[in-house]
Amino acid sequence: MTDLLALVVQQSVNGIYLGCLYVMVALGLTLIYGVLNQINFAHADFVTVGAFSAFFTVTRFATKVLGIPDTGAYLLSLFSALGAGALLGWIVSAAVFAPLRRRGADELRPLIATIGVSVLLENGQLALFGPIPYQFDSPLARETIRLGPIFFSGQSALVVAVSVAAIAALYAFMRFTFMGKALRAVAQDRETAGLMGINENLVIALTIVIASALAGVAGAMLGPVVVLTPFTGASLIVKAFAIVIIGGFGNMEGTIIAGLLVGIIEAFTVQYLGSGLIDLVVFAMLLLMLVVRPTGLIAEHKEENV
Amino acid sequence: MTGVFTGKRGIAFLLALIVIAAAPWLLNSAYWRGILVLCAMNVLLALSLNLVLGYTGQLNLGQSAFFGIGAYVSTILIKTYGWNFWLAALAAVAAAGLVGLALAAFAARLRGHYLAIASLGFAVITYQVLVNWESVTQGVRGIYGILPPVPNAVALFYLVAGIGLLVYFLLDNLVHSPVGDTLRAIREDEVSAAALGVNGAVWKAFAFGLGAAIAGLAGCFYPGFVGTLVPDAFGIVESFTMMAMVIVGGMGTMIGPVIGAVVLTFLPELLRGFGELRLMIYGVALTLVVLFMPGGMVQAWIAFKNKLA
Amino acid sequence: MKRAFISVVFSFGALAFAAQAQDKVIRVGVLMPISGPGSYFGVMGKEGIDLALEQVAKTDLKGYKLQVQYEDSACSPLQATNTVKRVLDQLKPHIVIGEECSDASLAIAPILEQAKVVQLNAGSVTMKLTESGYKYVFRIFPNAEQQSAPLVKVARGHLKAQTAVILYEKTNAGNDNAEGFEKPFVAAGGKVLAKIDFGRDVNDFTAIATRIASLGKVDVLPTFALEGQQVRLSQALAQANVVKGGGGHGVQMGSIWLPWGYDQKAGQAAVGYVRIVQFDPNEKRKVVQDFIKAFQLKYGAGKTPTHINAHAYDTILLVAEAVRRGAKDSETIREQFTQFKDVEVTTGKISFDKKGQNSDLSVVHFVETQKDLSWKGLSWQ
Repeated sequence: MTDLLALVVQQSVNGIYLGCLYVMVALGLTLIYGVLNQINFAHADFVTVGAFSAFFTVTRFATKVLGIPDTGAYLLSLFSALGAGALLGWIVSAAVFAPLRRRGADELRPLIATIGVSVLLENGQLALFGPIPYQFDSPLARETIRLGPIFFSGQSALVVAVSVAAIAALYAFMRFTFMGKALRAVAQDRETAGLMGINENLVIALTIVIASALAGVAGAMLGPVVVLTPFTGASLIVKAFAIVIIGGFGNMEGTIIAGLLVGIIEAFTVQYLGSGLIDLVVFAMLLLMLVVRPTGLIAEHKEENV
Repeated sequence: MTGVFTGKRGIAFLLALIVIAAAPWLLNSAYWRGILVLCAMNVLLALSLNLVLGYTGQLNLGQSAFFGIGAYVSTILIKTYGWNFWLAALAAVAAAGLVGLALAAFAARLRGHYLAIASLGFAVITYQVLVNWESVTQGVRGIYGILPPVPNAVALFYLVAGIGLLVYFLLDNLVHSPVGDTLRAIREDEVSAAALGVNGAVWKAFAFGLGAAIAGLAGCFYPGFVGTLVPDAFGIVESFTMMAMVIVGGMGTMIGPVIGAVVLTFLPELLRGFGELRLMIYGVALTLVVLFMPGGMVQAWIAFKNKLA
Repeated sequence: MKRAFISVVFSFGALAFAAQAQDKVIRVGVLMPISGPGSYFGVMGKEGIDLALEQVAKTDLKGYKLQVQYEDSACSPLQATNTVKRVLDQLKPHIVIGEECSDASLAIAPILEQAKVVQLNAGSVTMKLTESGYKYVFRIFPNAEQQSAPLVKVARGHLKAQTAVILYEKTNAGNDNAEGFEKPFVAAGGKVLAKIDFGRDVNDFTAIATRIASLGKVDVLPTFALEGQQVRLSQALAQANVVKGGGGHGVQMGSIWLPWGYDQKAGQAAVGYVRIVQFDPNEKRKVVQDFIKAFQLKYGAGKTPTHINAHAYDTILLVAEAVRRGAKDSETIREQFTQFKDVEVTTGKISFDKKGQNSDLSVVHFVETQKDLSWKGLSWQ
């Protein structure tokens, strides 16, 4: 492998890994948007909560109380993160989204309400956990896998694997289960779905819970590779939004492609332009996309209700 | 324009003048006078955002960018090129307004959440430009030793509050004029408005441009007040704070943003004793207001008055 | 009746005594970032100051008491300006300690200068703070040049480095330190292959590490980032085989930014890291060991204090020392500070130069991270 080729492949690998990281955060966002037409601004804070739950499960509970070895402890922590995310999702759904939906709120109010929730979560965690970064070690975090001149860490391989698995599971759920089909029905046309006997409120609540559980698991995956503080979510949320738009609001395939694209572009921006310009490039891409193809990479066939 | 000083509006105007004149003497420490200046700036910002968000119904999450453009353009012209403050302010306001027009042109076809994220993205890009264009803005190093246009805090407050009052007056007239009706029509239902011959794009651009210009105007006073200018003052959090002021006060009314700005400027200062809980209380308050009092404090006041009647 | 009379006289006497005691108060304002991401510094700073207040209260302060008012300046010039005005109004302090971030520290300097109140800074590195001619500013934290110059000397002298890649966080402090290394390194004949900056919200450094790997032979990598990002950066560099910790060639270099405990967090990636430290928990000096013992007694046996704890702790020690030497208000505190020579604190010895910068760096020394992640003191200077 020539040097240049190796470099390009390596940065692509980095980019794919980064992309999967973003996809795991953005996927839940797009799910919620698809079924509810709402943005949950607190979504990234769910990720942070997931990361902290996983961290404390591993360090306090699993190893000390239950005496489970590393790998088992880490797997257990994935479940606790999932649970934490699901719980938060349920609370926000019941306390914020449902009441606002009942009162016929517009698009702005739930967004602002979730901004309030985000501020609350961030500062609540700050009060609980403090600002000093936590060292979250997973068994794979310090392993490096090498294939010739290409390298990646064990944890990044895990991130990619879990995101693929999560996407596959989500796909299967949407295609083959009743709930999944109900979800798609509600996303496409809420009124008609309701007329066909689907309990929209239940479906919406379930979607938010699933999306938030996904966020929690994302947190457990990301904990070992990010700088873990109560502000971790804030560092990811705006890029997650950009990805959701670039991919097309509410569109799962679009989000995945957009996430990977953003990750790869970020890696190559770092290589050739400088890491200080990452945000600039990504958002310029976002604005470009909005001009050229506002509905996103994969066109969503949504009619404007007049 | 009917009689300015007659009737309820005249009394309200006079009352405002009295409050503005008296405030720095009732709160006569350097610290509280500083907060008053900040409050006046926030009122301008809230008014500017309310025009776009409240009256024209455009989900603009990036207003802090125009605030920043006003601050940086005026400061650079003064410090690097030796311009006089007022000329620099004029240029800064024009610059902010132009950029606002550009955003509107760009976002002409965007609605709802698309516009929201686009405006957010635009704010991020502006911030990144401020940070990275170091040869012009000094980036994260910051610009220091910036003097206010008038020597002391009281004079500065009178200046900014006076401008705020003027802007309020002009905007009040605007929203009660046919232009206001046009903007409200766009807010309610842009498609139907188009059917009635309203050129949505032009009027949205007008609202964005004017809103941006006013935010830029507020920006001209900010660096002199703090003395130091860094890009971090113009991020997403600031946009959200402005939005909170508009919503908590009462979106789509004229007095709402003023109330919101005053409350959300003074509340964090009064909560200083709470230390870490300060921002948490902020978040809870914001969520609760949006959930239970969507029309903000104006709505609460009207409901209260109705209860008494 | 008689008893009542006696108790009234007694209370008057007590009041008079208390009133007199009230006069013997030194009022200290403390501006720390307690909210927001900057609270990383503020939390540790407050710990140090709280502990110091307890400790100096046990010593002879010539009958004086220290009265402290904390304010949250959130690392922002706006908040810092507001809170310094607030503290000046409400407390009328004789001295203000603050801030931790360069922007905020610079923002309050002219205000304190005008109010003729001493500013004692223990956290910012920007040269501007002591190069702007302020007479009331004193700083015990090493500035950017003081931090970077020794790195260059060692890089060229001991490590025989020809090429360097500078990595730094995109802040005032990061910028200053990076420049503080670049200029002398290039002047001494070295070549800077790349100057790579990153925002504080960057979590993943594999792309950066890959880019560095593609630059060819890199001898030293001076890095200026906080521990959270530094851990990730070191690990990525090790993975990319750029640094010694990962089987590569380059030597990571750093300044006093990283606290004790960083090496354990980064693991093997930190092996071979060469950096200067000022507060070294291994030091045998009594003041250092006493500090560590008191710190662990108050905050937990497993917690080793960081340099941020230590610097904040030292500010109160210095105020106390000034009081012992006769200072009783802002002017006299200032005079005492200007005359300080070899005043011993946990972070070394304090002698302020004409600009208010502590110029005694005798305690600063190099350490290298060993395979067992401990520090080995180097006698390079």
